[in-house]
Formats: sequence, C-alpha cells, structure tokens
Amino acid sequence: MENREVGCQIKELEKELGIAEGSVSFEMKDEILYLEGNLDGLQIMVDFCHKAAKIPGVKNLVSHIRTPESKPVVPVDLEPYQKKGVLDSVDVAIIGAGVTGCAAARTLSKYDKKILVLEKESDICEGTTKANNGMVHSGYDSKPGSLKALCNVEGNAMYSQWAEELGFHFNRTGSFVCGFNEEDMKAIQGLYENGVKNKVPGIKVIDGTRAREIEPNLSDQIIGALWTPSAGYVEPYEVTLALAENAVDNGVRFLLNTPVLGILREGDQVTGVVTDKGVIQTKAVINAAGLYADDIARMAGDEFYTIHPRRGTLVIFDKENRGKLHTFAGKAPGNYTKGGGPQETPEGTLLWGPSAKEVADKEDMGVDQDDLDFVIEKGLELTKNISQDTLITYFSGNRAATFQEDFVIENSKKLHGFMHVAGIQSPGLASAPAIAKRVEKLFLELMPKASVKADFDPIRAGRKPFRECSNEMRQKMIQENPAYGRIICRCETVTEGEILDAIHGKIPAHTVDAVKRRTRAGMGRCQGGFCGGKVVDILARELKIPPNQVTLKGNGSEILKNPTRQSQGGEQE
Amino acid sequence: MRTAELVIIGGGPAGMAAAVKAQELGIQDIVILERDSHLGGILQQCIHDGFGLHRFGKQLSGCSYAQIFVDQVQKKGIQVECNTMVLEITQEKKIIAVNDKEGLMEIQADAVILAMGCRERTRPQVRILGTRPAGVLTAGAVQRYINMEGWKPGERAVILGSGDIGLIMARRMTLEGIFVEGVYEVMPNLGGLRRNKAQCLDDYQIPLHLSTTVVRVHGKRRLEGVTVAEVGPDRKPVPGTKRYISCDLLVLSVGLIPENELSRKAGIVMDPVTKGPVVDDQMMTSIPGIFAAGNVGAVFDLVDYVSQTGEQAAQGACQYLKDSGKNVLEHSVKAGENVSFVFPQKFSSEHQKQAEFYLRVKKTMRQATVHVWCGEKELCQKKVPFATPPEMVAVKVPLAGTENHSITIEVEQEVKG
Repeated sequence: MENREVGCQIKELEKELGIAEGSVSFEMKDEILYLEGNLDGLQIMVDFCHKAAKIPGVKNLVSHIRTPESKPVVPVDLEPYQKKGVLDSVDVAIIGAGVTGCAAARTLSKYDKKILVLEKESDICEGTTKANNGMVHSGYDSKPGSLKALCNVEGNAMYSQWAEELGFHFNRTGSFVCGFNEEDMKAIQGLYENGVKNKVPGIKVIDGTRAREIEPNLSDQIIGALWTPSAGYVEPYEVTLALAENAVDNGVRFLLNTPVLGILREGDQVTGVVTDKGVIQTKAVINAAGLYADDIARMAGDEFYTIHPRRGTLVIFDKENRGKLHTFAGKAPGNYTKGGGPQETPEGTLLWGPSAKEVADKEDMGVDQDDLDFVIEKGLELTKNISQDTLITYFSGNRAATFQEDFVIENSKKLHGFMHVAGIQSPGLASAPAIAKRVEKLFLELMPKASVKADFDPIRAGRKPFRECSNEMRQKMIQENPAYGRIICRCETVTEGEILDAIHGKIPAHTVDAVKRRTRAGMGRCQGGFCGGKVVDILARELKIPPNQVTLKGNGSEILKNPTRQSQGGEQE
Repeated sequence: MRTAELVIIGGGPAGMAAAVKAQELGIQDIVILERDSHLGGILQQCIHDGFGLHRFGKQLSGCSYAQIFVDQVQKKGIQVECNTMVLEITQEKKIIAVNDKEGLMEIQADAVILAMGCRERTRPQVRILGTRPAGVLTAGAVQRYINMEGWKPGERAVILGSGDIGLIMARRMTLEGIFVEGVYEVMPNLGGLRRNKAQCLDDYQIPLHLSTTVVRVHGKRRLEGVTVAEVGPDRKPVPGTKRYISCDLLVLSVGLIPENELSRKAGIVMDPVTKGPVVDDQMMTSIPGIFAAGNVGAVFDLVDYVSQTGEQAAQGACQYLKDSGKNVLEHSVKAGENVSFVFPQKFSSEHQKQAEFYLRVKKTMRQATVHVWCGEKELCQKKVPFATPPEMVAVKVPLAGTENHSITIEVEQEVKG
C-alpha cells in the first residue's frame, strides 16, 4: 500500500478516536507500520494501535507512541559487559525460560547442538508462564488461518503425547462458553462457526440442561453453551519444569539470573549475545523473551512488533471446593479481552479468572480492586454453590501481546541466525507444542546439517508427589529416605524429601517461590504461614548460606533482614 | 495395626491438658500425636507473659505455662509421638499418620480428641491489593522468626490488626529495635485484650488507628511501603483518606481460623460461625467418640479456657469409653440477643449437673448481664462489668430442669433509668 493511503487511514483513525490530527506520525516499510507521537493515555494508544494494525497491508506494527504512563528507555552501554570476556560458546542461545523457551529447548535437544537457555530471573517460569490459568484451549476463537488458530488446534492435540512423555498432570475435561440470553447465543453460534473453520474436534452447541448434565454446578440461568470436549488443563509451571528437565536430560544447559543486554553480529550473521556476566558466542539466537521480545528484537536490529502487556488477575480457592467444577466455564468474549472463567486445575484447586486489562508497565503485576471484582463477579455469575469466603489468594500476570494479536514465529530477514518467537500470549500455553514444532522447522533452515542424536530420550523420569502416592508407595519412599516422612507443608502435604529433590533437582530451586512451584509447599490455604520459615531454613542449610540470604524470588527479595539482639550475643535492654 | 484407647491429635495446651486429665480419670492407653518436634504448640514461641492468670493465679510466659503440662505429660509417662503428622481420621476412628521413624502408621482408636489448634488468616483473606513482595508476614510467622529463629524480618514495620498477637508483636518488635510505625484496625474497636493494648502499645507510645486499614502493598521484590485508608461503617475506604507509609515489613494480625481439615475430611458437622465442629458440653462432635478441644472448636482469647476445654473433652472421652457411645448433640444452645456465638453449641443434661459455656458478645457493653433461658425459665444470670467482642465470657449453667429443651443465652446491657 502506498504511504499516502496509509496516511489517510491514520488521519481517519485520529478522527474516529477523537485525537488531534497529526498526533501520530508514521512510517511504512516492508509491510511494517512504525508509529511515533504522543497520546493522552494508555488505553487510547492501545485502541489506536489495534485499529492501525488492521489497516490493509500492515503485517505488524511498532509503536513508539508516548503516553503519560511511558517511562524513558535508557540505552545500555555494552562495552563494560563485553570487556568481561567470553563466558561460553554455543550453537544456539535461547532467550527466555518460559514455556515457549523451554519447549524450544526440549525439542531442539534431540539435535547434536550445544544449546544454552538464558533467563534473567532467578528461576524458569517466572514470567507470563507462571501466572495464567493453565488452560489448553480447544481453539474455537482464534481468527481462522492465523498462527494462533493453527498452533492452538495442533498444539492441543499434541498435549496428550507431551503429558505421557514428560509426566505432568493433564486433564482433558472440555470447556464451555455459556450463554445467558439470545444475544449470547448468537455470539456462541459465531464462535461455533469459527471453531469449525479452525477444525476444533467435537465442537458443538448444546442447551443449558445438557450443559448442566456435564457440569452440574453451572448456573441455572445458562440457556445454552458452546461445548468443546478437547479443551484441557495443566499446571503451567509443572509443564515448563518438565520440559526444562527433559531438555537438561538431553544436554541443554540453563543460565539463570542472566539478563541479555545486547546482540552481537558480524555483517548480517548473529555471532553472540551480551549478558551482564559477559559474552556468549553463538551461531543462532532464539528470541523467546515473552514480554521483552520486542526489546530483544530491537537489540537485533529487527524490531517489527511491539509487545503491549495485558494483565490478567487470577483468583484461587481452597481445595475444600474440590469436585465442584470439572470443566472450564467462560462467557461470550468481547473484542481482544478474552479473559477466563471458573475452572478446577489438575491439582484440584478451584481457579477463577483471568481478567484482561492493558497496563503500561511490563512489570506491573499488581492486583487492583476492579481486577478482583471482575473475576469474582464473573465467577459468581457462572457458577453456584461456591462461596467467595473460601478464596485463598490472587495474583496477576501479563500477556505478551502484539498489536496484530497474533504470534510471530519466523527467522529474521535482517539478521541471519536470529529467530523470533514472539507475541506468544493466550493461547500460548496450549500452542506450545506446535510452536516448538515450528521452531524446529525454522532451526533446520538455519542449521540444515543438524542431525538427531542417537541417545535422545524424550521421556522424563519424574517422581510422583507424596500426596498422590498410595500408602504402600509412601511407606516405601520413607523407608528409602526418612525425609519423605517429614511433612513440611501441612496444607498440601509436602515432605522434606520432595523439597530436597527440588533444591537439588535438574533445574535447582534456589528460592522459596521456586520450591513452591516444584512442590506446592506454600500454595495451600495458609499461604506459607506455617511452612514458609521451614522452607527458608531448609534452603539456607542446603545452599550453605545464612537464612537472611534466602530470597522469595531472587536478589532483592530477601525474607529476613538482621539477626535479633539475642542471636547477636545476648545484648540486653 | 496399633490400637489405643485415646488418641489426641495435637500436643499444644488443649491436647496436653486433655491427656493429663484423661490419665487422671483412669484411661491408660493414651497417645499424643504432635506434628512439631516438641510439645507445646504455639506457646513455644510466646515468650511474653500473661498466661495462666485464671488457672494458676499468676502471670506466666507461654513457654512456662506449656512447660507445666509438658512436665506432667512426661511424669505420667503418657506416650507422645512428635514430628508426626496425621493425614486422615476415618469415621471409624482409624488414624493414619506419618513420621520419619516409622513411616506410615495406622492407629485404631476407641476415642479421639481433636486438638489441632488454629491458623492465621492471610493477606488475601482481607483483600489487600497490590503486588506480592517479600516482607508481608503474619504476626505468628514474625513471632516465630524473632523468638525462635533469631531473625528480624524487617526494620520498619506496619501492623494490620489489633488482635492480641498484633499487639504483642508491636512491643516485641520495638524491643528488638524494629520501628513500629503504627497499628491499624479496620474495626472501630480494639481487636485484642485491653490489658495488651495498655502494656504493648500505650507503654511504648505506639499509635493505634481504629477504622483504618491497609489497602495496598507496594514493591516488586521487597516491600517498599503500604497505603492505608480510613474506612466507613461499611468497612470500605473513605475517599481522600489514603496515606502512603514507607515500611519494609507488614505484619498481619487479622484473625485466626480453627484448623479443621481433618475434621471436615472425617465428615464431622461444622459450625459456620465458629468454623469448628459442633460439640456438646462433653466436647463430643457429631461423630460419637470424636471430641474437639481448644481452638480447633472455637478460637479462644485465653489459654486457660483452652486447657479447660481439653479437660472437658477428656472427661467426655472417659464417659464415652465407659458407656460406649450414647447419643450426642442432644439439645441446642442458642446465641440470643447481643451474642455472636456460644460454645459448645449443644448439651446433654444426662452426665452433668452443670456445664460451662463460652460466648462472644456482638458489641462493647458496660454493666452487662448474661441471662440463660430455658423457655420461660431463667436458669441463671451473670453480671459482667465490661463485655467486649474480643474477650470471651465464660458462664456456668445449672442444667437441672432442662430435659429435652434447648437453652438460649443472651446478654443485656443495663439501662440507666
């Protein structure tokens, strides 16, 4: 499309949204629309960009539009970090240890290549992956033909094999989109047709009575529903850990607490990444940096999308609600804000949410009153016999959305050896196996001579958690190691043995939250009130550090500060 | 399978008092199962005084109070299994527990006393918004870190909740050199005992802000501050009253909940108000032969009462073992005017001439009178010079002439004419 035509469309958008003419300037290059300027608020900027991304001929959109919420970008001087020298030399560096990065690592671990995963946080699964509802969507709502739609349906089907090979909990329970009136039913019919185009298996529209036969605690006000039996649930942190562990089994290494600050190149070939600890030489880089994928793309000189964080709040209820809900119940969605509804996780925890709200800061993972109200009101509307008094916690995560609202999975056209795996928002978890498959294909374009290792083993040998073992198995475990006879977390029945396994595991858990994600210690109704101190003690003992160096989630989140007077030597008042 | 006449789950003040009493009453085969490494329960970390005034007529520390019972348990040779977690109790009183010495164990008990105590309410339960940094802890957790582990979890603290633990921790932290900015209480009245406010806040000039609560937590990794706001009668923040306080520790003393996961799993009938099992004056639950003692039944303000309910449960268990399972939960005790709950909720006039009931009033009243009614007949009354929701009122009720009738307990404020 001609620049002039795009200009007209931009002008019209300004008019439509009530923005002063000329507030936004643009440049169109290789089907990418670059926007600059100033707008009064975050939501108007997001609305503008969403609409601009739909201008015919626009493949993706970069927004450098400033709003009052914007923070200045401080460029990093790479020199001091490069001076630290070469830390490592690998074939493939994967940036980001969320489900996308870990799935890529596990899939590529079958090849005879040296692979390193770089993660800025203190553990894998610390970003978007840890705070989502664990849904493996059936794929009825993505735009037909989009990468999202293709990857979702394909990924969903692949989950059974993943669960079997990797040994994580996966419940293929099905999901509902519920209608309360004729208008909802029209929207549901639209979703049904969309789902048929996306080839969602078993999709159908059923009446309220049939829906309540499948899920008795659905509201009596529901008159009909879209039913997709292929939808399922996982615990996202468990999936990610399983992928990472299996990758380690097959030779992949992980470097945690290591932010990437720059990408190195020679001509148009990528040669390395600069981290805060020094340079890692590499022949290929896979950008799976989630919320920060646009920053990494900019470092590579190939910024053609912008990630705008869309926050989702989740609410968790006490396990005493176990069995009240088996499937997922949603409502007919509006525009981009899909949002979720009530469901039971594979661990038997009732979970409501997420909400969907655009936020300015990628690190803004707070919970506001409106987030909480949204999730709770929706949950109460869709269900019955569930009291909000049994709520035990709530938290937020941010979706890594592009303005095109689709995944970006491709090799860079500007920097050879650099792969984009970006914009992986909902249904990113459901799509993860299919995304990894595409990553593998792109990898083989970069390294066509890569060959599969003879000793690649896709099976991850996991140990069943104590709480799920039969009494005979428990007895055997305790006989082998008495640490399995010491219960540390009473709410979730987690033993010291399991905590030790986590701390000394393939991806060692070195923080209280990392222990929690691997064992569930602290996830229960007392929220770590009883076991928190014990976990701190065990971490300090095993890592041979003083307790006040143990952190909740990495440097700067120490739980304890200074010794008391008495422990300093009995100083008296 | 092991067997025992009486298994007591929990070796805190309720469980130990029950064990000692049961042995005195002639039960020989008693086992206490305790999940911690020592007996004493939460009293182990209560190094402050104020315990035992009713029972021993003197002010003891929590540790000293506990030690009296620990000594008796040991002297009497009562069997104790520490580091032992009960995983399940069946309706048939089979107990499945685990420890690192014996592994999984099954004990068939003739009678069971539940004495698991209570746990603290947490931040989400009072709906504080914002981020989830390190530095937000319950008062009990802070007490444990300071008194037992020797570590301070912060240097500048805000306390939410004026319950007893919050007040005690305000003083304790001050003595450790932690600056306590203030105590905030969402309700218009004090949540703990008046003597604790005098001794722990007033003596150290720590301000108490009533009808004010923490609405938001700030900080990504470590707590940086909190926002507090005044609340109206609906307990919602009043616009324009928000204030930011810089702190690195938020201590929550926002209430206690009886620990009843085992009771619920066993299918015991629960009271939605006390959040504990419904019991009779023998502390027997809806399952014959399973009793509840102490905070597992209802949260008490004084440990003296906790011990007493332990002894009542022991008497009940003894009676039960003698005439093996007479019906339970016969007549109801109803909470009348100005009373939020009465514990126990049921009684049977068969075994005892009188029974002790504990109640919480709904509002603060001066010169109040407790009336106990059985239909039109007033069974007894008790004058209470000062009645306030945080302070339980204990009343002994003669049960003669209550056959087959429920009783109602109400509290009346004397009207000055």
